[in-house]
Amino acid sequence: MTLIDHASIKPAAAPAKTNSIEQIRYGCAIGAQQTVAAIPRAIPITHCGPGCTDKQFMNLSFYNGFQGGGYGGGAVIPSTNASEREVIFGGGERLDELIDAALKILDADLFVVLTGCISDLVGDDIGGVVSPYQKRGVPIVYAETGGFRGNNFTGHELVTRAIIDQHVGPYEGTRDADLVNVWSLLPYHNTFWRGDLTEIKRVLEGVGLRVNILFGPESKGISEWKAIPKAAFNIVLGPWLGVATARHLEAKYGQPFLHVPALPIGANATTAFLRQVLAFAGRKRRSARAEAFIAEEEARYYKYLEDFSDFYAEYWWGLPAKFAVVGDATYNLALTNFLVNQLGLIPGKQIITDNPPEEFRAGIVEHYRHIADDVSTDVEFEEDSYTIHQKLRATDFGHKAPIIFGTTWERDLAKELKGAIVEVGFPTSYEVVLSRSYVGYRGALTLLEKIYTTTVGASA
Amino acid sequence: MAINLKTAVVESREQRLGTIIGWHGRASDLARESAYARGGCDGCGGSDGRKARRVCELKGPFTQGSVCSEQMVECQAGNVRNAVLVQHSPIGCGTGQVIYNSIYRNGLAARGLPVENLHLISTNLTERDMVFGGIAKLEQSIRDAFERHHPEAIFIATSCATGIIGDDVESAAGHLEKELGIPVVPLHCEGFKSKHWSTGFDATQHGILRQIVRKNPAKKDEELVNVINLWGSDVFSPILGELGLKVNYVVDLASVEDLAKMSEAAATVGFCYTLSSYLAAGLEQEFGVPEIKAPQPYGFAGTDAWLREIARVTHREERAEAYIAREHERVQPRLAELKELLKGKKGYVSTGSAYSHGLIAVLRELGVEVDGSLVFHHDPVYDSQDPRQDSLSHLIDNYGDVPQFTVGNRQQYQFYALLQQVKPDFIIIRHNGLAPLASRLGIPAIPLGDEHHTVGYQGILNLGESILDVLAHKKFHQDLAGRVKLPYKKWWLEQSDPFLLARASQPSRAAE
Repeated sequence: MTLIDHASIKPAAAPAKTNSIEQIRYGCAIGAQQTVAAIPRAIPITHCGPGCTDKQFMNLSFYNGFQGGGYGGGAVIPSTNASEREVIFGGGERLDELIDAALKILDADLFVVLTGCISDLVGDDIGGVVSPYQKRGVPIVYAETGGFRGNNFTGHELVTRAIIDQHVGPYEGTRDADLVNVWSLLPYHNTFWRGDLTEIKRVLEGVGLRVNILFGPESKGISEWKAIPKAAFNIVLGPWLGVATARHLEAKYGQPFLHVPALPIGANATTAFLRQVLAFAGRKRRSARAEAFIAEEEARYYKYLEDFSDFYAEYWWGLPAKFAVVGDATYNLALTNFLVNQLGLIPGKQIITDNPPEEFRAGIVEHYRHIADDVSTDVEFEEDSYTIHQKLRATDFGHKAPIIFGTTWERDLAKELKGAIVEVGFPTSYEVVLSRSYVGYRGALTLLEKIYTTTVGASA
Repeated sequence: MAINLKTAVVESREQRLGTIIGWHGRASDLARESAYARGGCDGCGGSDGRKARRVCELKGPFTQGSVCSEQMVECQAGNVRNAVLVQHSPIGCGTGQVIYNSIYRNGLAARGLPVENLHLISTNLTERDMVFGGIAKLEQSIRDAFERHHPEAIFIATSCATGIIGDDVESAAGHLEKELGIPVVPLHCEGFKSKHWSTGFDATQHGILRQIVRKNPAKKDEELVNVINLWGSDVFSPILGELGLKVNYVVDLASVEDLAKMSEAAATVGFCYTLSSYLAAGLEQEFGVPEIKAPQPYGFAGTDAWLREIARVTHREERAEAYIAREHERVQPRLAELKELLKGKKGYVSTGSAYSHGLIAVLRELGVEVDGSLVFHHDPVYDSQDPRQDSLSHLIDNYGDVPQFTVGNRQQYQFYALLQQVKPDFIIIRHNGLAPLASRLGIPAIPLGDEHHTVGYQGILNLGESILDVLAHKKFHQDLAGRVKLPYKKWWLEQSDPFLLARASQPSRAAE
């Protein structure tokens, strides 16, 4: 009745790479409707088949931490629900009719038109439909995000760029030395993005900067996007996502950017990150305010770590020693960094699943090679879960069971390996996530709670 | 209109049944306009006399994201236990693997079956494939499916993209079926080809009827009843067990063998004609397995009639009558208590079409007022064309009219006005998207994840208990209601007619 007995497969039998993707780990480009939904009071308008909008929302948001639709996402999103008529005769008129009606019914500061496969294949002139509205002063932009163009990471950068080019527009004014833009986690796809962006903003503000966080509950919405060109510089926090946007902003506004590949988790990483930002900001003098903030955060962090150390040092029933991380590049590197450097865990297998552009891959591998002064490890890039699970089965986790930082797809595998599972990425269908964060000073403590509640909770 | 299994492509619901997705009025008017009672409406195209009648449909400029046929193929063919579904599409269609995995796992657990991840593979088509075609990738993924899982069948879901570029999926399926020695079943479910997602149920069932169901079975199992359902808990075994019958649940959570042996069964039933219409009619037409033609098993009237028809077809009349009498007596005391507790409460039902007809009946058995219902589509007739299956008329004849009866494919912007008209104490939902709006208005929802919860006599009590539970939730929703802003403009929220824009764009039909 059940399918193949995976345990009987020889570890050496790693399948040849094909086009197949089983148990997906990202959506398609129109999944960037979630990027729009992540901006307060922005609403996507989708021009696609009848199921695309629901499918991207229900999977990227609902069955991924049960994040909700927000103000203008979920079932609010207008869609042309394209039919045979739009395939045969084109869908431009239908889109125009939908936009016109959406303006009557919906209350938004920005509308973003996203196209799907149908429109991109039949070649609808979306610019021709949208630009008359733009000329009338309607806050509306468009991006061509047919699913065959790439995944929702690709779509995110297309939408981001569309808003910058079509709505933020040219800027000749002055820069604000204290203001920064942050480009980091992919909203909704990363299950913890709301809490994490909140923490990132909090620590940057703690050292005296003001932050255009752009997405999530701490963003001021479109006024913040309009202020992008005023920022002194851009921070790209993650191994690759956002670099294309930062390069574009550099070309467009002459705005420099700081690329920090490892999203910081824990006191050491977060303090190092803040110092790096301060140095880039050209604040030669270490401001008393920044240092006071860092000192206070570290003191609080280490007070909790001290309390935690009783458990960590003398819990009788064994804690995991080796780990595996399966997830998008940003969280994968951040977690590996924390697990190795803060907890002293041993890396077993790291697999990056978000298909980073080729140009970044060698650099990403280097980070794992030098993950600590005395620890070097490797990372692989793979998107097909069947292959990923075969690689995990073939990994030597030593004398005790591993802890897997992965997704819902790894729940059964963790059982098979008699290990523990912490769901940290898309899809996380067995966690309810609100404001929880795993990054920065505060998030690291939450992460410790999660890891060791999982471990201890399975004891008896 | 007979079911046509000659071609691989299923005929859509609107072609077969005259399905509509926009209508508003009294339920009795909709029943009258539908085929069973009278025939098509004048001036709206009418009927060609062969296929289903046409009912006047409201179609407006504003639409919110709906659901597509491919999603229904995912949640049916993709949830067959020892099969693999290959999604021949760009990666986006594959995103649905997440939700249907969660539902599949939870459904397996609820049925006491071993929990596992589903088996869906995306062919992951990219821009280049749009130009040169994706058949080589499809063939590769089918072979991957076979080598990885040794399934007993492989289903293929097409997509909008492959439909437009014209990939010849049938040829690929045909030669791989010969090569691999298992059914390789193309399911044509391009989202743009039907205005309602339930065509996706039919697409799956069409493929199963053509290529999985055993032709000329050597034996007949006179005790076996096919139950066409989703992931619901095992409610039918205890009921049908009283008549000495066994249950064969299909399509979700079934094995390929469970699907194959449908032709050996003594009868076919379902929990909802929207879902079961095509498969049940096909089993009768092609394999001689009778479809139970009766009201659906909701409320006393429906359940009585349903049981009696099963008993008649399977020759178990005496056992049925004894069971019916016992059950009526058993549920009465608690039902009387529930009716007292629910006195004066108002409910609103927003679910799939035929399912809603059943749920309203159950609510009225409980003494709950139901002044309105939103169904996601309306089939003027089901595939059997048999008036005994006219679930809407059954509701009206036995439980009275529904004054605010709306057909709309899950359009949240219309739901606001509908709730204002009825002002319910709670709503019953199945699909996502409407309960969040109700919540923001202070109205709690009962999400019927287990679609069998309300079936039969016990189902009346079950729903009553669930209403009591959810009324307590009101605290949460009312607290929220005062603190959130809706994304709709004030002007729109002030409109009392949810079809205002549709009527404005169809002036000739405004009077209807």
